[in-house]
Amino acid sequence: MTCFCLLQMFFILLCTMQISTPDCNIPSLQQSKAIQSSLHLLDKIGQAFPLQCRREHVLFKFPHNILKLSQKDNVKVAVQETLQSIFYMFSKNLTLAAWDGRSLESFQNGLYQQIEQLEACSIKKIKKKPQYLRDVEANRLKLKKYFQRIDNFLKGKQYSLCSWEIIREEVRKCLQLIEKGLEGLENKLWIQAKIKNLLNEQDSRRADVKQKHPKCKRRHQDLK
Amino acid sequence: MAAAGFPRSECALLLVALSLLAALGSGNCAGQMNLMIPQNVQVHIINTNITLKWDWDSWNNFTVTFSAHYQWLEDCEEDRTNWTELPGCQSVTVTKCDLSSAVTDYLCNYSVRVRAERGEEKSPWSEPFIFIPDIIAEIGPPEVQLESVDGVVKVSISPPEANSKEKMWTQHSFSYNAVIWKKSSNAEPKNRAIYPRDIIDDLEPETAYCMKVQARLISEAKRGYFSPEQCINTTRASNGLPCPTNITVHALNMKFLLNWDNHYNKNVSFNVQYLSGFYKQFYEDYSNKWYIVAGCENISHTQCDFSSNVGTSGNYYIRVNATNGYNRSCSSKEIKVDPCVINEIGPPSVKVNSGPSLLRIQITCPGEENKSMSECYEFTYRIQYWENSSKPEVENEVVQQPFHTISNLMPSRAYCLKVQAFTRAYNKSGQFSNVICTETLSDQMSPLVVLTTFLIAVVVVLVLAVVIILGIYLSYKKIKYVFFPSCKPPSNIESFGGQLFSNLYILTSEEPAEKCCIIENTIQEEANPTDFKNYSNSKQSSRDSGNYSNDDDTLGSKVSEETLEQEIV
Repeated sequence: MTCFCLLQMFFILLCTMQISTPDCNIPSLQQSKAIQSSLHLLDKIGQAFPLQCRREHVLFKFPHNILKLSQKDNVKVAVQETLQSIFYMFSKNLTLAAWDGRSLESFQNGLYQQIEQLEACSIKKIKKKPQYLRDVEANRLKLKKYFQRIDNFLKGKQYSLCSWEIIREEVRKCLQLIEKGLEGLENKLWIQAKIKNLLNEQDSRRADVKQKHPKCKRRHQDLK
Repeated sequence: MAAAGFPRSECALLLVALSLLAALGSGNCAGQMNLMIPQNVQVHIINTNITLKWDWDSWNNFTVTFSAHYQWLEDCEEDRTNWTELPGCQSVTVTKCDLSSAVTDYLCNYSVRVRAERGEEKSPWSEPFIFIPDIIAEIGPPEVQLESVDGVVKVSISPPEANSKEKMWTQHSFSYNAVIWKKSSNAEPKNRAIYPRDIIDDLEPETAYCMKVQARLISEAKRGYFSPEQCINTTRASNGLPCPTNITVHALNMKFLLNWDNHYNKNVSFNVQYLSGFYKQFYEDYSNKWYIVAGCENISHTQCDFSSNVGTSGNYYIRVNATNGYNRSCSSKEIKVDPCVINEIGPPSVKVNSGPSLLRIQITCPGEENKSMSECYEFTYRIQYWENSSKPEVENEVVQQPFHTISNLMPSRAYCLKVQAFTRAYNKSGQFSNVICTETLSDQMSPLVVLTTFLIAVVVVLVLAVVIILGIYLSYKKIKYVFFPSCKPPSNIESFGGQLFSNLYILTSEEPAEKCCIIENTIQEEANPTDFKNYSNSKQSSRDSGNYSNDDDTLGSKVSEETLEQEIV
């Protein structure tokens, strides 16, 4: 019984320690919630896709593989890069788009808040580890090329109504992918945490049995 | 002879030896071996100004010129994988040249190499320097304008490369960092984040301040060059209506209240305005994007509820100004409101049911009536409970679900508990609910309770079973009575029915014709009743509808009469 109590106490201590560690990262779950709300606002800013724009079919080729790696840094960079590029894209030459001003404002405001939050975390991170992450940079570049294609398309079409509607569709797809990436990351982190906990549990059990077993035995004997 | 100018004799000797070696070598080897390879080839990029640099020992500089080649490596829109001459970098006499015109796709992977040339002699190529402009580019200084107005300094920033045609930074917006210090003091310069159009309002009046600004791309860990230092004298605040002060925001369960001080002697009214946070990122003037908060225009009291104007996504800025007739005060300090962060979480409502040695807790999350609470937070609940005794030991439990049971309690003891909601995402803990005390049920009662429950359950099951069986039996009887009746209908009805159904189609098709017959019939009846028999005989072949069943009956009887007559004959 005492053994069990000690074990329980150990776990409680372990758990509280894990909870109390300061954590600047906005949890992926919270972030995917923010992206969901951005998606909702994106729907609200305009009507359904106009029929006259259906003739054009453009492939911008979102770099899917950057999310497949599902490493924490990769996904975070992808999210940050995407949000920034979308925010920047949606802040100029919108006069022909014929969208609802108030919803557009909310959409931009939501995006900017997420960017600010991520930046607040990045500043702390920069100070911590300034090393050059090759993979991360390569992925960032792929995303930049993707947004360059979008930018060139808009420029080529002189920011016409149809070009903006096509881009709105593309942005929706892109945000959905990012959100899925975050969800995948959240699941992965959750599983990792579970495995870590299990391993900790096993280790501590072993340690506990080794240390406490003789005493327990003695106590049992005493009781008898 | 080249070494003649050197002051130190060791150097001169060494050079002589070297030039002798070189002269000897030129007799045996190819000409290009004479020239050294340019070392430490590098590319420096500030905005879109791209410069290629290399090292060359000056003592070796016998009227040497340099040429550079470049190629694009994989993954570019245009395929140019062969080494090509760099325009502007052929036969240059200095150890750098400008690549800006050649390097145009800033997301592409380039490779450059340099060699030294002297007449026909050419050195081997240097190690190629491989680079992606976007990654190695540095951010140039922004342009800054300062204006001193009413005791504050207005800053307006133009982004780096604002006036150049080609742009390196096309996809992101910068954030800015300003370093500000008092001109005539040794005080430590202060860093602060600044927006492209910002107001610095925490400066002392009539004091000289200096500042410099740098642009940053935080996501890419890039800090740009500082703008040149600029100094400005602050002025005294204006003599008109002073700005409202002491602005505070209180938010509980997403109800946002703004309070401020009324320190005016005159009769003033206040206006509260809000701005969506993202406008702060813009370089253009956004002063017309400040909207009046609904219900807080020209108010005389010093409180404003702006809950309806802030959504859950995005930050907002709030400010107040006062007016007295035509006098308008300056605007108060702007308060940044991040709704989900600034909001405080109220206490949850809790219901407790006691059981034997356990407590069942039902939690309703705080501000349930307010939809925006659930848009911000996902709650977890912390339950603190203790035995209501002289030496209480407080236990904690953290639960995700709003329904929870605390077991392993002592039977028939009084326990107290309180609950708070918290959210890890925002690292926020809500207020605790009121303390609720209740007594657990006795364990001894439990066999009796179990027995009673069991008996009640048995009775309920039995009653249910009887009802169900009765129901099935009755419905069986009903079904049997309707579809499989025990008594058969009389044969004439059955045959009539048969006839009716078999002739259904023809009957309906002949209906209009029959109507005519009826009219004819009545006329004939009135005219000559004696013809009736003949008429009915002629009618025998036609089929009548059910409406005239009486006629049919008479017909039928007449037919039977006829057959009887025939039989008799």
